[in-house]
Amino acid sequence: MKPATDPLAQLTEIRAIMERSSRFLSLSGLSGVGAGVVALAGAATGHWYLHTHYGAQAFLRLVEGSAQERQQALPALLTLALGMIGLALVVAFYFTRRRAAQDGRALWDAPARRLLLSLAVPLTAGGLFCVGLYLRGAASFVIPGMLLFYGLALLNASKYTLDEIRLLGLTQILLGLVAMLLPGWGLIFFALGFGLGHIGYGLLMYNRYER
Amino acid sequence: MKHLIHTLNKAFDNRVRLGVMAVLMANESVSFNELKEALDLTDGNLASHVSALEKVGYVLVSKQFVGKKPNTTYQASKEGKTAFQDHLTALEKLLRGPA
Repeated sequence: MKPATDPLAQLTEIRAIMERSSRFLSLSGLSGVGAGVVALAGAATGHWYLHTHYGAQAFLRLVEGSAQERQQALPALLTLALGMIGLALVVAFYFTRRRAAQDGRALWDAPARRLLLSLAVPLTAGGLFCVGLYLRGAASFVIPGMLLFYGLALLNASKYTLDEIRLLGLTQILLGLVAMLLPGWGLIFFALGFGLGHIGYGLLMYNRYER
Repeated sequence: MKHLIHTLNKAFDNRVRLGVMAVLMANESVSFNELKEALDLTDGNLASHVSALEKVGYVLVSKQFVGKKPNTTYQASKEGKTAFQDHLTALEKLLRGPA
């Protein structure tokens, strides 16, 4: 093998190797846009479902209603939530795989594993905690809780991927805290954070890295 | 005057060794397979260069068993990190040219 003596080439390569081996860089901005669209569609579906079953001001009534009412609505809401997560993951996977293929990078490497693990642990804990909040009569904290845990998960995972993810995480945390002060506005904040937040940062990342 | 090129560390006079050190600078502890993946190398090629770095004391090796499978992980030693930083500084000086 040729000795590496050209200093500029050496430095460039060192920087590239250090980046590549510690961060997952194939994350596509379009994944964010796709997940955001799924979240908006999900929020609309949720709104429609609550409206047809509980009438006007449905969200607030469910939040302030009886435990029995909430338990009745749980299977539908949980199905909707899991469906959204599943669909968002499929979309995110599709665009990220496409970008990895375009850049000729491996999709499943050590940074990808670390990224997913550092997301999965706080998200699983947060998801279970939110179901608990909902059933124990603190339903107005469910959406703030989802935003907070998601923001913290992103913040935690951001050291293994693109820098924008840290800002997205901080945005979600901020929205979660504001949402906590405005019960009854949950769905609006859900759409803001999971919908517009993803779309906004997704477009930003797409413009920066993929055009 | 000694030419700047001689300030470059001989231990890093090779793309593979440079790559191994770069990965170990960016990551606390890395397994053999992760290293192989990150640098896209064959087993034999990687093993010989890593053992060269181990011999000069730049890389620390720890062998463990995960179940029955041996699992070797690598870390950059303190001397290795310093030497690599010095190497980078030397490269930058070379790039800037004589003052």
